[in-house]
Amino acid sequence: MAAIVFKGLTKTYGTAVAVDNFSAEVQPGRVTGFLGPNGAGKSTALRCLVALATPTKGRTRILGRGYRKLKNPQTRVGVVLDSRGFHPGLTAYQNLRVLTSMGGIDKSRIDEVLAEVELADARNKRVKGFSLGMKQRLSLASALLGSPEVLVLDEPANGLDPAGIAWLRGFIKSQAEKGTTVFVSSHQLAELETIVDDVIIINKGKVVAAGSVAEVTGGEPLEEAFLRLTGSGLS
Amino acid sequence: MRLLGAELRKITYQRAMWGLMIAGALFSVLGTASTPVILASSEDGLGFGTLAEQNVVDSVYANAVSGYIFAMLLGVLVVAGEFRHGTAVATFVAVPKRGRVLLAKMVAAGWAGLTLQVVATGAGIGSGYIALGFYPDAAQASQEIFINTALSGIVSGVALGILGAAIGALLRSQVVALIGVLLWLFAIEPILLLLVPEAGKYSLTGLMTAIVSLDVESDLVNFTTDSFLSPLLSILFLLGYAFVFAILALITSMRRDID
Repeated sequence: MAAIVFKGLTKTYGTAVAVDNFSAEVQPGRVTGFLGPNGAGKSTALRCLVALATPTKGRTRILGRGYRKLKNPQTRVGVVLDSRGFHPGLTAYQNLRVLTSMGGIDKSRIDEVLAEVELADARNKRVKGFSLGMKQRLSLASALLGSPEVLVLDEPANGLDPAGIAWLRGFIKSQAEKGTTVFVSSHQLAELETIVDDVIIINKGKVVAAGSVAEVTGGEPLEEAFLRLTGSGLS
Repeated sequence: MRLLGAELRKITYQRAMWGLMIAGALFSVLGTASTPVILASSEDGLGFGTLAEQNVVDSVYANAVSGYIFAMLLGVLVVAGEFRHGTAVATFVAVPKRGRVLLAKMVAAGWAGLTLQVVATGAGIGSGYIALGFYPDAAQASQEIFINTALSGIVSGVALGILGAAIGALLRSQVVALIGVLLWLFAIEPILLLLVPEAGKYSLTGLMTAIVSLDVESDLVNFTTDSFLSPLLSILFLLGYAFVFAILALITSMRRDID
């Protein structure tokens, strides 16, 4: 059974079509890159997947169910949608403590995940003093709190410096080695090329290619395949 | 219970919430303690009468509920603050059943509003007692005024905390919600009370004053409590407003995407 399924997903805002009859599957235990230019509809599709947005048509499934139907989703799916998801006046610990209390997760997990994303030293610092890279790491820490089987990451490399991107690659690899399904969206290919098993390429709301990296690229570099398939330059 | 605990935790972690608690208590203290001074500054207490009259002394203590404004602001922050800081995404991803989340937020806002008003009203009554001590000719307050003021503080704290949270959920924009609430309470309600008393008695201020059961009037400022509703009816109206807005917020939040 696929870990994530999009079936005929369409999302419109007024007359603008953000996602257009999008169908794709993410296989369990693999790292799948969700690629597309800016504005291709990646974030909208992910927001529909985790029930933040209601599809105009079609449906999404994660671990065999709609996201809202998952029992205590924090313990099944870890989600990183943007780095703004923390109260700036609260410390890293306090922000995560709120999330553990919402999900009934043991608070001992907080120090574990902070160590995992190398933020243990910033445990009692207020988030308003965090760099963008630190906020991204804190977002990843929050996604790991419930030890989920699936990670959904939307543009996790945004704003990261080269060292941060290298760290992120290592992080995703380590999650994959544990058997976690990772679904990671990005419009930057270099950061993903070496770590993804499969790719789904979306452009103007529609799937233009999906499959293993080898199937989609046909042996050419991912960037060249992406440009050919989307018919546009990278932003 | 788990969600309610998380929401209460959010409130206690935020400095702004403690700031509102303190501001509510200070506002109540200043409002109550300054009333004898203002009334004594004119011969007939601005038309309300002198401190030698029991109903005038009662009206001093009635001001102890004035921290309700901050209970409502606190309620607004409980929900609209989540959208302002972007934490709404994390909240609704953690618990995608929006109705449960909003219900927990409203109960937490009602609880926090109650706590604020209990502290503020208590502090206000204490400050009124001290301030009246400087006026040896002041009459003894009625026993009922303390019970009624406490009741008004409790009901207003719960109702306005929930109402604020519902308005925050409906508007989502913290700035718009806060400005809207302040405009309503400081501009529209006073105008209604003084210029259109038949409508003003249904205003939040009118209902809270009615719960206190004050019997005052002043030709000078064109104010009378004669036509106000009964305390019981006022409590029902106040809780009814909170209930109606809470239902509206719950219904609309199901249909809207979270940004």
